[in-house]
Amino acid sequence: MRSIEVGVRSDAGLHARPAAAFVRIASGFASHVLLENLSTGRPAVNARSIVGVLSAGVEKGHVVRITAEGKDEAQAVAALGELLDLQAEPVVD
Amino acid sequence: MSSSIAGLPAAPGIAVGPAWRFRPHGLASVAPISVRSAGEAEARIRAAAETAANQLTVLARRLSEMDRPGEAEILGAQAMMAVDPALIDEAVRLVRRGSEPVAAVLAAADASADLLAALDDALLAARAADVRDVAARVVRVLTGTHADLPDKPSIVVGEDVPPSLLAEMPAGLLLGMALSGSSPTAHAAILARSLGIPAVVAAEGLLEAIRGHAPIAMDGESGEVIVDPITADLQSLADRQAVRGVRDRAAAELRGRPATTSDGQRISLMANIRSPDDAARAIEAGAEGVGLFRTEYLFMRRKSPPSEDEQVAAYRRAMEAFGPDRPVVIRLADIGGDKTIPYLGRAEEPNPFLGVRAIRLARDCRELLLTQLRAIWRAAALTGVTPHVMAAMVATVGDVETLLSLRDEARAGVAEGAAGAAESAPIPERMVTGVMIEVPSAAMMAPEFARLVDFFSIGTNDLTQYVLAADRGNPSLARLQDALHPAVLRTIAAVIAGAKEAGIRVAACGELAGDPAGALVLVGLGVDELSVDSGSLDGVRAALAGFTGTELRALAAKALASRDAETARGYAKELIERRR
Repeated sequence: MRSIEVGVRSDAGLHARPAAAFVRIASGFASHVLLENLSTGRPAVNARSIVGVLSAGVEKGHVVRITAEGKDEAQAVAALGELLDLQAEPVVD
Repeated sequence: MSSSIAGLPAAPGIAVGPAWRFRPHGLASVAPISVRSAGEAEARIRAAAETAANQLTVLARRLSEMDRPGEAEILGAQAMMAVDPALIDEAVRLVRRGSEPVAAVLAAADASADLLAALDDALLAARAADVRDVAARVVRVLTGTHADLPDKPSIVVGEDVPPSLLAEMPAGLLLGMALSGSSPTAHAAILARSLGIPAVVAAEGLLEAIRGHAPIAMDGESGEVIVDPITADLQSLADRQAVRGVRDRAAAELRGRPATTSDGQRISLMANIRSPDDAARAIEAGAEGVGLFRTEYLFMRRKSPPSEDEQVAAYRRAMEAFGPDRPVVIRLADIGGDKTIPYLGRAEEPNPFLGVRAIRLARDCRELLLTQLRAIWRAAALTGVTPHVMAAMVATVGDVETLLSLRDEARAGVAEGAAGAAESAPIPERMVTGVMIEVPSAAMMAPEFARLVDFFSIGTNDLTQYVLAADRGNPSLARLQDALHPAVLRTIAAVIAGAKEAGIRVAACGELAGDPAGALVLVGLGVDELSVDSGSLDGVRAALAGFTGTELRALAAKALASRDAETARGYAKELIERRR
């Protein structure tokens, strides 16, 4: 089992578009992946569930834990962690 | 007797036709299906979910081919929901405990939708409707029924309608959309706009006023819905449509012609872009060049800065698209403020908008700016055009001098590199160099700045935020964000005076420039160039063509002398209305 904790830097948190990207990436791995929002204390959700990921209510500044279990657990955790760490869309000037 | 209901405009256009009521819970009448075992029920639910996901993926692809990426994304996310384990595993759990499959899918969807609706976030709560819509589709597949569709061209009415319904309704069947709920930024409204279907939302009392398939008439530009319209109503709508048709044709006809006032005063009308990919749309909309290429987007969503070669390729693509006669003003990356770049490893600032932003990075991230300037010189050499550059957040004469010396140092670096190369294009002699005016100190020092640079570009959004000391990201200060505030206009007037004294050009590239009322005032103040989003080019060009330079100067004088933004905006609106 592999697990990391990430501070979410993306302005949009895990709302619509980023959530879909998160689920798509999680679904690409064989491992079972869980997402837990440590900032709200809500229970962990299945990272392959768009409803679950949306309901985690992840916003910028939250800390989340990503846990993966399976043969590609290290890659899964690294890829999802990177996604949450990426740069946000800026607003207009 | 006709009755008129005021909603919010959501997609322009006028529609007249019978009402067709969309009922989201029309599923109550769906017959249960019979299965021999829980195993069979599970298999049928999983197969139906797959089919529903495929249907939604096909719809998403169709929208994507129609160049509607935003709407395609909505349906793509719905496709994901159709096979969501939270939905399907729950339905399967219920049938294993003896539930009937249709009831199980609907109950599972309700559980997921309730979970989302309970979140303290309007955007996510709106996704609850998406889950229910997806479940209805899975049930239709499961029972072999079809979505309820109108049997003749109609105006769809309801509290809200799912985007997937609009996307799959055959063209011609959907005349318009009038909703008692929803909002202009909801999926349904976005989709209606992109499909070119007139739409009104938030028309309270609409559903109570409509009986059966009563005829309705609606105006998606004013937000008005008339139930049981009489001849006079229809005549008034037809008149409005004719007037707008003339207006829109006039705007489109002006495309490709240089922007002028009605007495022939030329204004350069440029586009704002954030990637070379935006060039085609800007050119099609008649942009006379690029007044603001927001290069910071090249630096975002990645783990390290773009290499010099990568930047050369991006700038070259934009320069080639516009050619030698249409300048492309490249703004050095405006990093800082609300746009942070994690890989630069900079410390968090308590007040980023007042922090190390844009040209202020020259001290600690000098190489970042030098690389960008070298790339601009090289791209211009390869394309054979004169490069144009500007920097943001310039506050002092020292900042201006920093920009000029970085520019010259970058050219020397490129020249040195080229000396050793076998083949190289000649490096242009000069780079047209300007500064953005967004900081009050820059406005006050405009006469000094103007002697050092080739042009000014006024960033009206930031200028407003800094002049009124109101964080533009703070919604409770929204009323302090109107750039037509006389304090902002007086600042702009001072900048223009400083520029004219030195004989340099002044551009404006904030949102004010793209708002017809704002554009009229800016030109009246003496701005030579407006740079706006491509979608605003037609509107601004048409607005300018309706007035003489004298009229606009008179408007600007009144706006300058007004006591607040509302009054100044009122003068501009009055002028526009009088012309109609």
